[in-house]
Amino acid sequence: MLQYLIVQLCDTSTSYCHYENPSRTPRLISLEDLNAGILFAMKENLMIQFVYPDEELPLSYKKAVDSIDHNTIVSSLCEDQNLVAEADIVIFHEWTGLDYFAFNMEQAYVLRTSKDDFFDRYAQLKWVFPRVKRFNIVFTDIESFSEDDYKHYKKILNHLSENIEKLLIEGLPIQFNLLTDRLTLSTMNNCNAGWKTITLAPNGRFYPCPAFYFDDDSLIGDVHKGLEIKNPQLYSFDYAPICRHCDAYQCKRCVWLNKKLTLEINTPSHEQCVISHLERNASRKILKNSNLKKEMKDLSEIPEIDYLDPFDVREQWDFELLQQELIKFHKENY
Amino acid sequence: MDNIKDSAKGWREEESKNVTFIVTKDCQLICKYCYLVGKNTHERMPFETAKQSIDYLLDTPEFSSEPAVVFEFIGGEPFLEIDLIDKICDYIKTQLFVKNHHWFNAYRFSFSTNGINYHTKKVQDFIKKNYSHISIGITIDGTQKKHDLNRIYKNGKGSYDDVLKNIPLWLEQFPGAGTKVTISSADIPYVCESVLHLYSLGIEEVNINCVYENVWKEGDDILFENQLMKLADEIIDNNLYKKYSCSFFSTKIGKPVNVLLENHNFCGAGKMLSIDAAGNFYPCTRFAQYSLRDKKAIIIGDMHKGIDKNKLRPFLTLDRFTQCPRECLECEVAGGCGWCSGENYDAAVSATIFQRSMANCLMHKARVRANNYYWNKLYRKLEIEGISENEIASQCIHHNKIC
Ligand code: SF4
Ligand code: SF4
Repeated sequence: MLQYLIVQLCDTSTSYCHYENPSRTPRLISLEDLNAGILFAMKENLMIQFVYPDEELPLSYKKAVDSIDHNTIVSSLCEDQNLVAEADIVIFHEWTGLDYFAFNMEQAYVLRTSKDDFFDRYAQLKWVFPRVKRFNIVFTDIESFSEDDYKHYKKILNHLSENIEKLLIEGLPIQFNLLTDRLTLSTMNNCNAGWKTITLAPNGRFYPCPAFYFDDDSLIGDVHKGLEIKNPQLYSFDYAPICRHCDAYQCKRCVWLNKKLTLEINTPSHEQCVISHLERNASRKILKNSNLKKEMKDLSEIPEIDYLDPFDVREQWDFELLQQELIKFHKENY
Repeated sequence: MDNIKDSAKGWREEESKNVTFIVTKDCQLICKYCYLVGKNTHERMPFETAKQSIDYLLDTPEFSSEPAVVFEFIGGEPFLEIDLIDKICDYIKTQLFVKNHHWFNAYRFSFSTNGINYHTKKVQDFIKKNYSHISIGITIDGTQKKHDLNRIYKNGKGSYDDVLKNIPLWLEQFPGAGTKVTISSADIPYVCESVLHLYSLGIEEVNINCVYENVWKEGDDILFENQLMKLADEIIDNNLYKKYSCSFFSTKIGKPVNVLLENHNFCGAGKMLSIDAAGNFYPCTRFAQYSLRDKKAIIIGDMHKGIDKNKLRPFLTLDRFTQCPRECLECEVAGGCGWCSGENYDAAVSATIFQRSMANCLMHKARVRANNYYWNKLYRKLEIEGISENEIASQCIHHNKIC
């Protein structure tokens, strides 16, 4: 069921996820489309998330935006620094801004980074962690991870997890997506683009997420004519043959990357799976800390497994599980 | 010549890899039901492309681990390129030997031909040279009327006479060879007489199926059912079931499918490899651009870079549950109702292989009714004749074959 509407206010609205925004010329969504989007969200009971460009919005747009309860996603470099200070989610596109940014415990932060930059500069995170409540890392080049990179990534995650463990035991409620999300999850919690979340782009059309607006022709409707998602079930977890046998619940399960790398929105790439499993396994290690167990409630169990990509063990998939899903699917849908 | 069944000893068809070379996109015919929408006379596979692709495959154990292999040559009409095919086959044999490859004695060259050039010296020389490793199917659609309805030359003339003259030679060389027949809407009135005609030509195995494309008109299912019942009567009343088989009748079709036990995809797309003239790799030929009406080709690699494993993942995890709509999952007679992943992709409302087309639903149900009739009538007849259940199985040729 749909829950969120992301509104890309401008062609140059900041990217907040894996995709690049190649647009350099600001072109705002028309006021008419913006208001229609707000109305759509009100009628469908959707929570709106506005994604801002770096340029300050005209007054008429500010008024429209304020007419509905919403979340604000903005780049740390936005010229409207008041907006940055009040935003719900602040996006960093590079590591340099981190050292002098005035972090705030009310906000969530996303750092978009290449793997090489992450490998070089991850130590900076130790300075950031005590200053934030939630910090997310999003890789912009997942497809380029190699076997050596996996080894390196594993080491770094283990290193960072020691730091996270320490902070958690001290009672600091740090949430770091790569390591802590999996600790408390017992079901999938993915990006859900096209299933729980849709995006309204500046051209007045709906897309599963902004990445599809820039990079794909998968439009899924129009703000005036309504939503028309083709094969909507394929965005859901039940219809993802690999993911439904997986317990890397924190994985983004990026449907845009899926489409780009495997040509199917419901099928993840090998790289996506391995990275998410390295994170899952690093979380598992954190869970073993007995002091942490005393400190934190609602921790989930993470069993030991001997693979990093569920695709590799497809011959052993549990078909009982499939049967349960089938029953669930019928109950929910018919 | 050896009997083909003996010479194929050790052959493990079920476990074999299928590698298809699209050697030409040209054909003498313009069959009305042909799914190849982009046929042309200029795209011919250079030998170098075949060579590089073979080298890649044989040097990549991950994609050549199956115990056996079928190299298939298709077109257009493959025998238009017999010189090229001969050269490719020689190269394959040499490389299997040189590399001491486990396919060395477990390979087969397979052809689906329109049969027009079958008698020519070049084709015959090739057959003799590779006889113990060849299988050839000639497509003949039944009676002259039925065949010439669809299988016509570019000038509109039917091809029946030119194919028919090669049938005796083909059957002499490959006794027991089967033919493939494809039924489209206009063919329905001729189904019964066509199958009987093929039997009368000496073809004992008729593999027949409805096209997967959405070509059907209202009422076609009833006409089809009537044709199949007429055919059932002919086969049973004249004891033809003892010698001949028709894939329309099978004890395995028409039962509910337990998705837990049979959750696999129906066809082998993704486990096969199809190679075109430019050296692009496809999960099956139906995903090459010349086979697609509305969608972009799905290319899973090429002879330079090899196979992109990420692009294979959807094909290797494509299952019944994920692609079937509710009607198909709950269908009481789903057993044996097939699909083609390429056609599913082409017909899907979005660019996905995970949406099964239901274009053939009514035709399958008609087939199931006629099939039930066939087995009820046949079993009763055999019962009256005092034949035991075990004997029944041995009396009916290929009684559980699914098309
Ligand atoms: S599909 Fe989801 S995870 Fe992928 S880029 Fe879009 S929002 Fe991010
Ligand atoms: S790790 Fe792979 S299988 Fe698991 S949820 Fe992520 S993409 Fe899906």
